[in-house]
Amino acid sequence: MRTERAVAILLGKELRAELRSRELLQTTLIFALIVVVLFSFAFDPTAAESRRFGPGLLWIAFLFAGTLMLNPSFAREQANDTLQALRMAPISAFALLLGKILANFLFLLTAELVLLPVFAVLYNVAILPVVGRLLLVIVLGTLGVVVTGTVFAALASQARMRELLLPLLLLPVLAPLLIASVEATASLLNDEPVLDPTWTVFLAAFDVVFFTASWLLCEHLMEG
Amino acid sequence: MELQIESAVFTAVLIGCAGYAALFVAPDESTMHAIQRIFYFHAPTAWAGMDAFAITFIANIAYLVTKHPKWDWIGVAAAEVGLVCTTTVLLTGPIWAHPVWGIWWTWDARLTSTLLMWLLYVAYLMLRKMLNTPEQRASYSSIFGIFAFLDVPLVYFSIWFWRTQHPAPVVFGGHLDPEMSKVFFFCVLVMHCLMAILVRQRYQLERMRYEIHEARLAAEDYAAQAAAFPVAKGSV
Amino acid sequence: MEHFQSLFIAWMVVWAAFFAYEITVAVRLSRARVDLDRVRTFLRLS
Repeated sequence: MRTERAVAILLGKELRAELRSRELLQTTLIFALIVVVLFSFAFDPTAAESRRFGPGLLWIAFLFAGTLMLNPSFAREQANDTLQALRMAPISAFALLLGKILANFLFLLTAELVLLPVFAVLYNVAILPVVGRLLLVIVLGTLGVVVTGTVFAALASQARMRELLLPLLLLPVLAPLLIASVEATASLLNDEPVLDPTWTVFLAAFDVVFFTASWLLCEHLMEG
Repeated sequence: MELQIESAVFTAVLIGCAGYAALFVAPDESTMHAIQRIFYFHAPTAWAGMDAFAITFIANIAYLVTKHPKWDWIGVAAAEVGLVCTTTVLLTGPIWAHPVWGIWWTWDARLTSTLLMWLLYVAYLMLRKMLNTPEQRASYSSIFGIFAFLDVPLVYFSIWFWRTQHPAPVVFGGHLDPEMSKVFFFCVLVMHCLMAILVRQRYQLERMRYEIHEARLAAEDYAAQAAAFPVAKGSV
Repeated sequence: MEHFQSLFIAWMVVWAAFFAYEITVAVRLSRARVDLDRVRTFLRLS
């Protein structure tokens, strides 16, 4: 079966499964919201400071929410051993991985897009003038999180302590992405908003490097 | 076995010479004076650590390509030794910083990147601990190891671009007095020898563990066979 | 030599770290050798 068709079918399956219960989306979104609100208790943002810390808080919320969302998305497969069944199907390991990556990407992005206006209101940040460029940064950042996160979730799914192990594996690797996303977002939320070229290109490079690595290593990932 | 003792003695002698050279032979540095001598342990250890991680990376790729367990043994050995080296760098950094800058830690580019690299390899070892079979341990940690190593340049670049405060690179891009260079490169050599010895020992430990695992499997197989064909009481 | 104390501490830290690691590996190695001999003996006898 051709890769594109396999990916489309898998993605459809994931979306249908999620839309039926919406539990992953809801819990991810609410968790991210809690993180954002909790930060305001910890840091008591005045207008100036919320501008300074805002991007950082936003991305920490995204990162935590994403990390927590990745395990359950694999755990679903293990409940009925569907992963075994999928592996026996005539689809490539890459199609399997890509289907999961795209599904996770859509779920996380949805949660982030819902969170964004809430964040803008709570922290009094003007996002409308820069919304297009901001979306670009968010998409690039989320892609990085999801590509590495899905691969590591697959690794952790076979390990003990997987709920703790996944953040332990993922967060150090994502540190450069966090820096780049926060800096890019910050420069967009400045008084003179500008899309920082270095950080944006860096984010794209990050995505390309790890997407390529995932593609090259997916066979070994799926056989374990 | 003899070769090991010889190389251990040789390395011990080298370490003694390196220490003497670092403390007494190298000329005094103009701004920081004596405390700068930590540089002769700090930087060479950092290099040895990075080379150890590079060895891990190569071993990870080699394992995934050949599936021969020895590459996994090399990978974990080099990763552990690299982690010891990096820990040492993170400890000697503040010991150097305190007399010079008055603070123990500064979130400057190099220290922060090294700290993150340390965390990456701790994660690598943790992943191995949490996986159950040797094959899974080898494949999955190799995959993670490759990702971690690819991440290292990204870490260094992003943190460097984000902050800079570390003294300007002294070896490449700065001027190092020829006397200092000699002592420095001697220390680099010594640290690499030490790293190699430790990696070889750790490799042997891993190989032995693998052999134990194989032997235990064979023993279980045998016990299972014996159980499958029970001998009737009193018949032999 | 000024700051000799700091230098000495750094020196000690470096070698203590490597020495400690070397000791742990050597200890595990000898325990593993014992284990291996035990399993091999069992295999040979059975």
